[in-house]
Amino acid sequence: MRLALIGLAILFLAAFLALPLVAVFSQALAKGVGAFLKGLADPDALSAIRLTLTIAAIAVPLNLVFGVAASWAIAKFNFRGKSLLLALIDLPFSVSPVISGLVYVLLFGLHGSFGPWLRDHGVQIIFAVPGVVMATVFVTFPFVARELIPLMQEQGVEDEEAAIVLGASGWQTFRLVTLPNIRWGLLYGVLLCNARAMGEFGAVSVVSGHIRGKTNTMPLHVEILYNEYNFVAAFAVASLLALLALVTLAAKAALEWRFADQIAAAKR
Amino acid sequence: MTAAASTTATKPARRGWAFLAPTILPGFGTAFGFTLAYLCLIVLIPLGHMALRAADVGWDRFWAITLAPRVLHAFYVSFGCALAAALINAVFGLVVAWVLVRYRFPGRRIIDAMVDLPFALPTSVAGIALTAIYAPNGWIGALAKAAGFKIAFTPLGIVIALVFVGMPFIVRTVEPVLQDLDAEVEEAAASLGATRWQTFTKVLLPTILPALITGVALAFARGVGEYGSVIFIAGNIPAVSEIVPLLIVARLEQYDYAGATVIATAMMGVSFLMLLGINFLQRWTRSRHAR
Amino acid sequence: MAIEIRNVEKTFGAFTALGGVSLDVRSGELLALLGPSGSGKTTLLRIIAGLDHADAGEVSFDGQDTRDRAARDRKVGFVFQHYALFRHMTVFDNVAFGLRVKKKAERPAEMDIRRRVDQLLTMVQLSHLASRYPSQLSGGQRQRVALARALAIEPKVLLLDEPFGALDAKVRKDLRKWLRHLHDDMHITSIFVTHDQEEALELADRVVVMNHGQIIQVGTPAEVYDHPADSFVFDFLGGVNRLNGVIEAGVARLDGKAVRVDGAVGADGPAVIYVRPHQVELGVAPADGVPDGKWSARVSSLHAAGPVARLELDLAGRALEAQLSRDRLSDLALEVGSWCTVDFRHARVFPAKS
Repeated sequence: MRLALIGLAILFLAAFLALPLVAVFSQALAKGVGAFLKGLADPDALSAIRLTLTIAAIAVPLNLVFGVAASWAIAKFNFRGKSLLLALIDLPFSVSPVISGLVYVLLFGLHGSFGPWLRDHGVQIIFAVPGVVMATVFVTFPFVARELIPLMQEQGVEDEEAAIVLGASGWQTFRLVTLPNIRWGLLYGVLLCNARAMGEFGAVSVVSGHIRGKTNTMPLHVEILYNEYNFVAAFAVASLLALLALVTLAAKAALEWRFADQIAAAKR
Repeated sequence: MTAAASTTATKPARRGWAFLAPTILPGFGTAFGFTLAYLCLIVLIPLGHMALRAADVGWDRFWAITLAPRVLHAFYVSFGCALAAALINAVFGLVVAWVLVRYRFPGRRIIDAMVDLPFALPTSVAGIALTAIYAPNGWIGALAKAAGFKIAFTPLGIVIALVFVGMPFIVRTVEPVLQDLDAEVEEAAASLGATRWQTFTKVLLPTILPALITGVALAFARGVGEYGSVIFIAGNIPAVSEIVPLLIVARLEQYDYAGATVIATAMMGVSFLMLLGINFLQRWTRSRHAR
Repeated sequence: MAIEIRNVEKTFGAFTALGGVSLDVRSGELLALLGPSGSGKTTLLRIIAGLDHADAGEVSFDGQDTRDRAARDRKVGFVFQHYALFRHMTVFDNVAFGLRVKKKAERPAEMDIRRRVDQLLTMVQLSHLASRYPSQLSGGQRQRVALARALAIEPKVLLLDEPFGALDAKVRKDLRKWLRHLHDDMHITSIFVTHDQEEALELADRVVVMNHGQIIQVGTPAEVYDHPADSFVFDFLGGVNRLNGVIEAGVARLDGKAVRVDGAVGADGPAVIYVRPHQVELGVAPADGVPDGKWSARVSSLHAAGPVARLELDLAGRALEAQLSRDRLSDLALEVGSWCTVDFRHARVFPAKS
């Protein structure tokens, strides 16, 4: 029974998890290392890598600040409508990525509500980097808050009260007591947020316009190359993203193993 | 407890409706204000705006667009495949969670970490990788072709992509419940003469079921909206393997904003109902396991 | 520092935590707030500290209203029930925290902080653990760190919430004695909350007994123990026999015989006679029946380990507990099943609650 179940689980996971990973790397290297590197060294690929990093560098800190503010308000205070606020924060999780992009097209696109005004003022958001950033922020919106809220709720307010009775100011309390208490949970959330920010496809695809060298992120570049039947290059870029996923998983596992108690609430 | 008593209050007495419970911790205004403003700017206003745009279309056209055969079929494919994938995951996800919680074997930690791969792997990468495997010239696709059927470019391919995407939802929702489950309960059932199957169906399953349903609902909700991992393997043949998100993108590419908006809003409406359902299920789970 | 509390009220939703409480805390005393959970004692402590705001009423320190003084400016030392030690800081840094967060103008030089913290750690006998983290300490050690941390800011008043609640019995007793000595050395006005009557009676200069958001009685341990204000206090201070009797024409009677009681008797009607086990007087049963004015009981069980013997008696179908010295027990030569006379040295009577 035991062996049969373990075998079944491993078989299932091998077919659905391991096989795709193997496929990515084997396809990337199908024509040898030279072709693999050529695919990566392409200027458009490099520009996609740069854009992906830039977007993550903007979206993650924004959602980090939001996550900390939201969890401070929700976990440390009691106010009316808290569960509604919690549900609204989770909303982007239940919105199709395509819709996450669409909502900004409807606002800022050429036929969007603010489109004509933006065009007259020479500002382009859709089919430009700002739109890509917005869609990414939308999609990764709940990640940090999701991790921090249960953790901070579990930690309660006694530490903060102790700090304040000892004479600490609000900012000192936050910086010296709260922040160290949540640092690993915070890192955990940032890790997940970052993985999604760099890997988001659907939402970004709708707003980017797929302009090579300009608004193409790595996941979009994979699609373009793939649709051009340039499989080696497509899988070469994909392998970088797969590597990012593996690093994320390893870091996540390391965090869970090393600081299980300090992110435990977040893991539920 | 009279109003007169409050005249000597150190702070104005807050009787009845108070938005914020009294506290000495600072920073609520700033944190709450920022949270609300950011939430409105990024999420609520754009989503609300979309709903308004859909309303502008008018009731008749709204239904005409939604009920067009091609759109209806896309809804059918999206929801059907998502449900099928969620149910497959319910079985295998439960097995994986069970194995991870109950058994110790070499490589368990790596497998445990790998379960989250679908969360971490960009969907377009998953999409092309799954297509490479299940296309007629791929490793498994070739086997299927020899056996006389196709996986990629059919609804079956969509189901496979959604199984990949939804799997961690089930495992991660069920895992904590299994962890909390006392092995003694099973031993007690066994000592009372229950067979393994009876123990499973009468003791274990009722305990796990709420979490399992929640996991299935989450995977289902995610599967309905999924785009990246599906479009490569689906083949996107209208009225066969075309999903709703793709239809929205197609309408956008034809500059049919109204069509895209209506379809998206209809989908949001269904998703919203599902979200309510999940919340209800979670509450139900908690109340049944309140300790 | 003296603290005056006037008509303090506090409600949480529909729950009245404090219903108009007034209390004077004398400068330099060690005061216990004693009561069952939900009696409002912790709420009162938190209001004094400024951690909670009263809905109504005043709290003043040495005659100065604290209305506009935030918790961080009150110079109150607060020891939390679960200590609330900062777990990412060493013992040393925990104790130094209150000094380091002072405004630049008031902050002592790092050298002075060091000296002060070392001094405090010596006082709580933890100098050797200065570089440890809270997770590496035992419960009693954490409690002392919390105390040192609270004392570091040279508070005018020290507040302790269930200071020994999370400790095991042995550590609890040691720490109790130690805290008493510390208070005798420092004479800082101190208030602690407890639900353990033994702790309150043994440690405090005065005890405040609370129930349902009200102060029931204030007095020295001897006063509240010997002269409980009402049946609740009598009950709560532990170890009491409750015997159903009546009040007739101003006399308390048990099975028809008059009971000598301390204090007021109350109105006629059903009543409960309260008597502590060590106030139960036992005597040898005379061969010719029961002497007048006494009761007769049979020994149903007997525990004679330690210096004090505890007996359970059957008094006309009621269970009665009695305590007496081992010497007295051997004088009486009682054993299970034997009969004896019963009298009460001190008893109180309260009307039965309908």
